[in-house]
Amino acid sequence: MRAPSPVVAFVPGVAAGAALLVLALLTRGRGLGAALFLAGGTYVAAVSAAGDSIDASAPLVAVLLLLCGELSAWSIDERLDIRAEPRLAWRRGAAVSALATAGLAAAVLVVALSAVPSSHGLALTVLGAAAAVGAAGTGIWVARR
Amino acid sequence: MIGYTSPRLSAYATLAAAGLVAGLALGRVEPIALAGPFLLALVAAVAGHAPRVSVSPSLDRERAIEGDEVTATIELSSTDTVGRLELLLRLPPELSVDGETARAIHLPAGEEQTIELQLRCERWGVFTVGQVLFRARDTLGFRSWEGSAGEPRPLRVFPAEETLRSLVAPLETQVFAGNQVSRARGEGIEFADLREWRSGDRLRRVNWRATALRGSLWVNEQNPERNTDVVLFLDTFAEVRAEGRSTNDRAVRAAATLAHLYLQRKDRVGLVGFGGFLSWLVPASGMRQLYAIIEALLTSQVVHSFALRGVDVLPPRTLPPKALVLALTPLLDNRTAAALLDLRARGYDLIVVEVSPLEMVAPSPGSSLELAYRLWRLSREALRWRYEQVGVPVVTWREDEPLAVPLEEVNAFRHLARPA
Repeated sequence: MRAPSPVVAFVPGVAAGAALLVLALLTRGRGLGAALFLAGGTYVAAVSAAGDSIDASAPLVAVLLLLCGELSAWSIDERLDIRAEPRLAWRRGAAVSALATAGLAAAVLVVALSAVPSSHGLALTVLGAAAAVGAAGTGIWVARR
Repeated sequence: MIGYTSPRLSAYATLAAAGLVAGLALGRVEPIALAGPFLLALVAAVAGHAPRVSVSPSLDRERAIEGDEVTATIELSSTDTVGRLELLLRLPPELSVDGETARAIHLPAGEEQTIELQLRCERWGVFTVGQVLFRARDTLGFRSWEGSAGEPRPLRVFPAEETLRSLVAPLETQVFAGNQVSRARGEGIEFADLREWRSGDRLRRVNWRATALRGSLWVNEQNPERNTDVVLFLDTFAEVRAEGRSTNDRAVRAAATLAHLYLQRKDRVGLVGFGGFLSWLVPASGMRQLYAIIEALLTSQVVHSFALRGVDVLPPRTLPPKALVLALTPLLDNRTAAALLDLRARGYDLIVVEVSPLEMVAPSPGSSLELAYRLWRLSREALRWRYEQVGVPVVTWREDEPLAVPLEEVNAFRHLARPA
């Protein structure tokens, strides 16, 4: 018996994520986090099901998810009846582009570092631990705001 | 200022944490790569801090007339760069701005910016303007700080006045000098009659032509110029309001116009606000009285009440004898109707200007409300008839007509039927 294609298997998840994204746009941002979470989770499940090989498109998927969030939030902000200076849109566009580029670089770095053999010593281990602590700390700080 | 974080920041934190945990649990790099950009966004959000924004609003004047434009200026500065500063000048519905009231700008550190808003005064009244709500956000909108600035200041919008060529002259005059020719005889300019000379008459009053014709001394008699007392009776028991227009608004405009013009003629003018909230001004003359009347009109509003009120509750000085009582009423409340009939019974020279609400509530043709509308109109006709039976002119001031039209009708009525 032939195994089902991962793409076919995870289409419902992607569709549900897209539906939640539309819902987020209609309900002024509610459900945006769930939509991103569902889309990301579907992707991770798909690559896990596909096999042990590293998916080189992961940084691109990560940046696209971030852009989904940022552009959705931007479009929701634009619905307010505010007369805004035109340069505000340019500035935000530039900031989103910079964030996406930096995010892409960070994700590519992560994927590239994963290719490095794990026997490269203490420095990489300490760096990884510091990054994990920093990420957790940032998450806690944001949650407490 | 109160700080807020965007809800999507929590979502990003959850995503990043879930990605890291999933990466560890599954032993795969893709979830960690997914978490990377979101972690970067969190770092960008953490880097922002509350800016020190200075917002000082001001108005170019504190008094205006309906239809005028008042300039509101908001001066802005900040010690730190604000990616997006959103401002909202709180305005009452009677003041409007072309386009959106809320503005968003980029405010660099140390730079002063000025925003000007042209406020159009749509309706008379006393309003408080000057409080600005602002929100400073970082460029990506991850974090924001909200606050308010500026002291609420009063803006007095006076009612616009109508153009009138003539006023309704009261039947009786008072004892002080004014511009109204009295029906009595005395020292004045207007010629009244001739009579034979009597002891004490001044030589300058002798009419030499009549004396030569008749062979004895005849003197001129004049009508003296006297002032009059006018009481503006504003019915504030009820009003009809539709699409931003109301009968009370028009009545207040008419009262302001009449007060101004009568006071220009050196008459004494008083005001009675007869409704749920009773107010009055004893008749007086001069510019000070005009401002007092306008101030009283600005605060006049329809207050619903079930209290039975008659003119007895008014202080006697409010309604001096021989005063012309000019009532501005939509004829909606029976208490006002009864009070006005009572005034007529007491011998006051009464004129009723009916501020017509009919146009505002006219039902569409074929509507089931047409019958009720016709019955209502008939009951109003009956009330008008009651006034006319006691010699009170009732004139209808329709919405699309100038005030001069009903006043000319009153003058015509008085020429045809001189009241007792």
